Amino acid sequence: MILGAPAALWALAAVPLLVALYLLRVRRREHIVSSVLLWTRSLPSWTAFRPSRHIERSLLLLLQIAAAAALALALAQPSLLGWTLGGGDVVLVLDASLSMRARDVVPTRFDRARAEARDVLARLGLGQRAALVLAAAHPLVLVPPTDDRGRLGAALASAEPWDVAADMPAAVVLASQLAPGPRRRILVWTDAARSPVPALPGVAPRVLGTASDNTGIVAFRVVQSTEGATALVRATNFGAQPVRAPLRVSRDGAPVYSAIMTLGPSETRTASFPVSGTGVLRAQLDVRDALPDDKAAEALLDPAPLPSVLLVSPGDPPLERLLRVAPVARAAATRDTDPIGWRGYDVVILDRVQTGPVPPGRYLAIGTVPPNLPASPSGVVDAPDVATWDRQDPILRFVDFTGVQIRQALRLAPESGRVLAAGPSPLLWAYDDGRLRAIVLAFALADSDLPRHVAFPVLLANSLAWLGGDAAGLRAGQTFEMPAAGAAGVVLLRPDGRRVDIRARDGVFSLPLPRAGIYRVITPDGERSLSVALGSDSAGIIAAGAAGRGEADAAGRRTAARLAVWPWFVLLAAAAALGEWALATRRHGGDA
Amino acid sequence: MIDDAPDGGRAGPAAEGGLLDPAFLQRLEALSLVSRRRVRGRQRGERRSLVRGRGIEFDDYRAYEPGDDYRYIDWNIASRLDRFFVKLFSEEEDLDVRLLVDSSRSMAAGAPVSKLLLAKRLAAAIGYIGLVNLDRVEVGVFSSAPGPRLTRLRGRGRAFDLLRFLDGIAAGGETDLGLALRRTLDASPRRGLLVVISDLLDPHGYEDGLLRARHYRVQMFVIHVLADDELAPRLSGELRLVDAETGRAVEVTVDADALRAYAAARDAYLDGVQRFCFRYGIDYLRTTTSVPADDLVLRYLRQGGLVR
Repeated sequence: MILGAPAALWALAAVPLLVALYLLRVRRREHIVSSVLLWTRSLPSWTAFRPSRHIERSLLLLLQIAAAAALALALAQPSLLGWTLGGGDVVLVLDASLSMRARDVVPTRFDRARAEARDVLARLGLGQRAALVLAAAHPLVLVPPTDDRGRLGAALASAEPWDVAADMPAAVVLASQLAPGPRRRILVWTDAARSPVPALPGVAPRVLGTASDNTGIVAFRVVQSTEGATALVRATNFGAQPVRAPLRVSRDGAPVYSAIMTLGPSETRTASFPVSGTGVLRAQLDVRDALPDDKAAEALLDPAPLPSVLLVSPGDPPLERLLRVAPVARAAATRDTDPIGWRGYDVVILDRVQTGPVPPGRYLAIGTVPPNLPASPSGVVDAPDVATWDRQDPILRFVDFTGVQIRQALRLAPESGRVLAAGPSPLLWAYDDGRLRAIVLAFALADSDLPRHVAFPVLLANSLAWLGGDAAGLRAGQTFEMPAAGAAGVVLLRPDGRRVDIRARDGVFSLPLPRAGIYRVITPDGERSLSVALGSDSAGIIAAGAAGRGEADAAGRRTAARLAVWPWFVLLAAAAALGEWALATRRHGGDA
Repeated sequence: MIDDAPDGGRAGPAAEGGLLDPAFLQRLEALSLVSRRRVRGRQRGERRSLVRGRGIEFDDYRAYEPGDDYRYIDWNIASRLDRFFVKLFSEEEDLDVRLLVDSSRSMAAGAPVSKLLLAKRLAAAIGYIGLVNLDRVEVGVFSSAPGPRLTRLRGRGRAFDLLRFLDGIAAGGETDLGLALRRTLDASPRRGLLVVISDLLDPHGYEDGLLRARHYRVQMFVIHVLADDELAPRLSGELRLVDAETGRAVEVTVDADALRAYAAARDAYLDGVQRFCFRYGIDYLRTTTSVPADDLVLRYLRQGGLVR
């Protein structure tokens, strides 16, 4: 609060004057008593005659003081500094990074941001529109521009930080697109821990956070191999001081592993140890800092469930033989190309069959391309060689195309996705848009000698693992698309205990994964667990960054945003004076 | 506010216009005043006297001395002890009963009847008891100085004079108990029973007057009459309390604390009066205007030992 005329505060001297006058002008009712003897004998106690008693018990005096003080303050022309809201649209952008859970700001950075955003909503002008954007792994428009305060308030109340590193630039750009006008205001609450706020016109950042030291678990997972299961715990010290962090891992409360992790500044270390059995592993890092939420992590010890596979093919003996021994839960073959008959299978292998657009799901297309995949064939290629392939891709892990002969292949023209192996044209192509995941092998098995090579079973196993084992490698901030398989709805139990009912849409359940940890999906057929890691290894960086040029803009607007509050003091003075008058009138001739 | 309270409220002896009604008077006739000390009157009455001799009530023995009346020798004792003893009898004489009623301005307070009216009823009742028992009754009024007195009343036939005198008393003036007692007792220094009916709200203090009265070797009975409002004032707020007698004003903020201070002062005052009377052998009875006069006489004055 600033005062336009501080000298007017001298008027507050009227308050003690008022008290003195009050003491002097006490109006007493005259009352005749038979004798004042006993009253005068009670005088020595002085309790009944202490002048301060008049002050203590006089509501009238209090109202007079309130009126005088309010008037004096009004004369001082007080005003509040704040963001100017102008008359244009206002977009509130809240950083939903993991670092916004830091408690160096009470109660947390995010809660403080939410409270300030709520204040801004309360100061919106009549009819002024506002929007709410949550800056998570991807920006989310929680509420588009509206003047519905209730909707904005409800969305603000339900917003929560995710276990991700927010994409602030994208969120600010999205916000600027929501409110394109010149009078727009984009108010950003962030800790700017990983990236500064873009200095766009109308953007006013509010940077929260004071602490910078944090050590946390950035990854925790169990790797299944032929030798057994191995747990990997990766911890990072994001601070500038070395940290000695005891690590404890337990399974269902029973200790499994413990170690002391000594981490230098900005150092990352990984602890690995063999584990066995099933269940949920819980890792705990005993370090105290401003961000307690990344000190614990959970991982599923159970191996990923095997997919069920449907082969839609006119007949392919090598493939059918291989599916009998492949790591699948169950395999079936059909010639029916109607997608309705494919329900209930995790992966559908389309072998040289022509289909219409395929519904969302997992597909291995061999010698054919469904028309709704962005890789329409433009003819064929004769005798292509497999010139290059991506050995790092999990689909081609341990796959060696050396010596593979191909008589003819489709000439793929992919518009997106990734080419895994290519000769004159792409020969192996993978695509994933979240709802539709597919691998396209550009040639039929019968047109090559691939089934005779060891690469064939390895490629098929890798492909089925990538298509069906999609629950592996999930990160917070992603949306897990799960085929509905005829079910209308599932229940998602989040790591924080919240229960979310998910309805199927277009044959797919879209499961939001804002937090890291173990999710449980309860379907009509049973229950499934998903292990979700932090959205980013850098999510634990909590050191508040600079606001950049945007803050200077905001400060300038604060000056312009002086909100005069003296009229409120005038109103208060008038109300107090009116109350005093009413009370004095009512008490006229009555008890003081 | 202090008023000459009407005689409303509970029907008392004077509810029909007089101070005492006939039914109450009839009940009073069965009572008599009690003198803790043997009194010495002027005429033969119905009260044991300090003079032993020709009465009919046996009192004691003493050894025979020459000159004693042979008729009073107890011959039964002489036959057993072979010594002469004379039987002593109490003389029955009359009792001097003096009633002193406080008529100061403060006595006008009280409800449902004023303190003055209650005092007049008590004086009338006590005086009537004395008259029917052939005691000599004298009634006086005092405020700052002794007022009119009615003396030499004796016998039932003077009851009308007594009641008419009391009925004509009005409140006025300040209280000066010491001066009033001194002048009253100087004018009539006989021993006897002195009943003072007052609120004792005397700015000069009640102690000197009562102590002086002791020098006249009278038996004193103080009836302390107070109004309920004086014991528990129903006041609040910023007040200027004006003394009805002296006009002295006290400014006071009456709240719970002030009332507590008042109650403490009141208790100390009343306790002081009671202790003073006990210490100097003065019979003391405290009452308020809410207690009817017939209850006071028939019950409390009996318990207090003034009547029987």
